[in-house]
Amino acid sequence: MLEAIFESPVKEKVLLFLYANGESYPREIAREYSFYINAVQYQLLKLEAAGVLYSMLRGKVRLFGLNPRYPFKKELEGLLEKALQFYPESEKAKHYMKRRRPRRTGKPL
Amino acid sequence: MNIRNASLRDLAIFISNYLADNQIETILTGGACVSIYTRNKYLSLDLDFVLVSDTRHEQLKVLLKDIGFHQGGRHFRHRETRFLIEFLPPPASVGEEPIRRAAEIKKGTKTLKLLSPTDCVKDRLAAFYHWDDRQSLEQALMVARHNHVDEKDIERWSKAEGKQPQFRFFLKRLKMGIVA
Repeated sequence: MLEAIFESPVKEKVLLFLYANGESYPREIAREYSFYINAVQYQLLKLEAAGVLYSMLRGKVRLFGLNPRYPFKKELEGLLEKALQFYPESEKAKHYMKRRRPRRTGKPL
Repeated sequence: MNIRNASLRDLAIFISNYLADNQIETILTGGACVSIYTRNKYLSLDLDFVLVSDTRHEQLKVLLKDIGFHQGGRHFRHRETRFLIEFLPPPASVGEEPIRRAAEIKKGTKTLKLLSPTDCVKDRLAAFYHWDDRQSLEQALMVARHNHVDEKDIERWSKAEGKQPQFRFFLKRLKMGIVA
């Protein structure tokens, strides 16, 4: 949907995923869309270097998220939110409504 | 320039002027400004320069190589100093706001552009506000206690960032006069 602007379907999906679901790590995003992990990592690092994303280590996993200090964050979020509205409900439910609230250890999923 | 014995401040002045002589304008930001404004009470080893306008990375790489700095990941290192240099893309900003006027430190004929004490406090508070980073809060307090800062402007900016309760916490700590 925003490919023309972002010039990469991977970049578009990375941004949409992080906007909708919060922090994530390369393997999770790659699995979600069946992308090559290298392609996802490349885009994440590029966006981080440009200040659009931040990353931090949690244990052994490097998590990425939209940088709250990026000066155009609000405008970028506006664009991503609008793009999400155009996605079919089934796709929104599949990729952009991940459970993020806690679930007690041992409780069946 | 004797890189081996250069302080953070002197190295920042040297790098900034060397790049300016090659038409690359920068503003020093991040922890290095905290070091300068607290006279190394907090010592950063990172010299983070924001590029004022778009600059090709290749050009920076070539220029820095000429003075002995080599790229390792995103940083540039020199074998005679512990300090690391990194360049951040424009725009120079604190949160959502552009940095309208950088402060200047002069040494002889050379000038270093860096965040003003007020912007430096905002820069540190941004990390405290958004990531709950207590180290950054302490650094903001140190800068605010050692320098004249515009509290009203910091309050206005904090409000725009939607972080008034956190600003009140900062102010309370500042008035208590306790700095860790």
